[in-house]
Amino acid sequence: MSIFITRETRVLVQGITGKEGSFWTGHMIDMGTNVAAGVTPGKEGQSVFGRPVYHTVRRAVAEHEAGSPPCSLFHRVLPGCGFEALDSGIKKIVTIADGIPLHEMVQIRAAAKVEGALVVGGNTSGCISPGEAMLGMFPYWIDRVYRKGTIGIMTRSGSLTNEVTAMVVQAGFGVSTLMGIGGDPVPGTRFAEMLPFYEADPETEAVVIIGELGGTMEEEVAEAVEAGIFTKPLAAFLGGRTAPKGKRMGHAGAIVSGGRGTVEGKVKALESVGAAVADRPSKVGLFLRNLLDRGLTY
Amino acid sequence: MKLFEYQAKAIFQKEGIPIPSGYLAAPFEAAGFCEQIGFPCVLKSQVLQGGRGKAGLIQVVKNSAEAGTRIAELEARGVKTILVEQAVPIARELYLSVTVDPLRASALIIASGEGGVEIEDLAETAPEKIIREEVDITAGLQTYQAVDIAYRMTDNPDEARQAAKIIQALFKVFSKYDAELAEINPLFVTESGELLAGDGKLVIDENSMGRQPGFERTRDHYDSDMEYEAAQEGIPYLQFDGEISLMCAGAGLTTTVFDLIHYEGGTVANYLEFGGPNYRKAVQAMELCLRNDSKVILIVTFGTIARADVMAEGIVDAIQRLRPNRPIVACIRGTNEEEAKKILEAAGIEPLYDTEEAVRKAVALCGQGSAISGADDPDGRDGGEV
Repeated sequence: MSIFITRETRVLVQGITGKEGSFWTGHMIDMGTNVAAGVTPGKEGQSVFGRPVYHTVRRAVAEHEAGSPPCSLFHRVLPGCGFEALDSGIKKIVTIADGIPLHEMVQIRAAAKVEGALVVGGNTSGCISPGEAMLGMFPYWIDRVYRKGTIGIMTRSGSLTNEVTAMVVQAGFGVSTLMGIGGDPVPGTRFAEMLPFYEADPETEAVVIIGELGGTMEEEVAEAVEAGIFTKPLAAFLGGRTAPKGKRMGHAGAIVSGGRGTVEGKVKALESVGAAVADRPSKVGLFLRNLLDRGLTY
Repeated sequence: MKLFEYQAKAIFQKEGIPIPSGYLAAPFEAAGFCEQIGFPCVLKSQVLQGGRGKAGLIQVVKNSAEAGTRIAELEARGVKTILVEQAVPIARELYLSVTVDPLRASALIIASGEGGVEIEDLAETAPEKIIREEVDITAGLQTYQAVDIAYRMTDNPDEARQAAKIIQALFKVFSKYDAELAEINPLFVTESGELLAGDGKLVIDENSMGRQPGFERTRDHYDSDMEYEAAQEGIPYLQFDGEISLMCAGAGLTTTVFDLIHYEGGTVANYLEFGGPNYRKAVQAMELCLRNDSKVILIVTFGTIARADVMAEGIVDAIQRLRPNRPIVACIRGTNEEEAKKILEAAGIEPLYDTEEAVRKAVALCGQGSAISGADDPDGRDGGEV
């Protein structure tokens, strides 16, 4: 099983006719993802890999009424296309698009809470359950990275995700579901909010978080573990430890986070709830072997 | 994008927030404006770094002679623009800002009846003195919220009336300019009971720059010429003074490589990202690296859309065009990595697959000094690993 999507989940691709949109739709289908339809204003009547294209999400959903498909936004076909998906009743939305204005993203996250929907991203590669399905853009054919297994991975990065996941695979594991929550300052869904799905997934044995400096998402994960929301083994990679103190966002940032957001603070918070926090990608695999009692044999 | 104080204050004033009177001046004309405003007055260096007061970049001057001395000192420190302001007689300082709360998915007003540079300490030592008001970013700030915040900042009705107006105006600035942060710290209460923005900070969201025309990044927005030139190419670049030039892809991976170099005892000459939209810019990226006094160029990528074969071709092309006089360590993985391997091998570069191995190799090459690139390679055409 995988979290977020399975082979049965019907997928709608917004921006399906664009260069990246059609390229990755092809890969999603090749991998086994159930792409039902696509949307590009002005292109209704066309098809991409045999999937019908509609002008708007509303029209696509009306034609494909049974069940509500999640949707993956590739290009920013229209301003506010996150709202288009939400307003059409879609409950799982992966926002591949980058460059979404900050205030719009805050509005989308607020609207998703009201609708009881999950909006993942923006500025993410999406999510993938190797051997099952993918919503987004991952080089799943690189077997030394995207191997099926039992480790859930959550990340904000692209290239670093490939790096860390390769180390998890090198240590003898594979991936249950990899969820990219996106690199923008306000992700639609936060690390801690994905934990209940990994907790409920019988195929996920442990979770790895690829975190970063700033914000409070790693601290929220520690709080979720403390509260018993997540009880499986947890490992994390946190980079940026030797980075010189960057230009600060001003006092408000520090005040909002109440002194949280430093690597030291994040390591301390995660370790205090039993998570193994690595300072090098290669240690992630090692820590997983420890956490899951597989011994240090590699 | 962080604006200069004078830009922020101009916007504040336009939206109805009172500011001290002042003039924007080049150093040579600053003394004249001091005379015009009268003494004492304040010389405020228009630079983007934080903590200007503690760094001596803000100076109160009492007479012409002192003004002349201080202006010369600031100019010697590279200050190109000075905001010359009247020195307002201050009774108290307050704090006010608007930002976003990513967790609550709302706008957040933070205020305090105390302010100044110690506001962060106050948040630690007396968090109860920090006022936080969540604002629905779609509905906007309600008048009652502004009034309530104002009366939590001050008991004085006259001050509170002014504060409420300033809170509404600052929220308008935040919304209208797609701000990440709009901040007044300190918000002066003058001896005559007026509220004035003593400082102005406005950070505009990068993703909104497309719908916020009229803001342009100039050389003054960067710490070095190299960083400015890299930015013109769209390449994220940071200048350091160590031995290894980084040419990496992805902010997360580049930061990780930066860490690994330090763990191995190496030093970094420059941070450079040529992934994402820049993955076809190997020549420009390598050119920037070569302008450093680095001993090694370390290339680490693990791309998805940024294809490994395209990056490898770009690197080989860059080597042929630029003939780097120092060794290159290449660890290029991701989409089409088998192709990339062949391309690098054909050009005589050993393709590495392990990031930590690549980092150790780069650090070791630094230890061997310049003999590596010079001796075997008299014409400076160093194809890569030695």
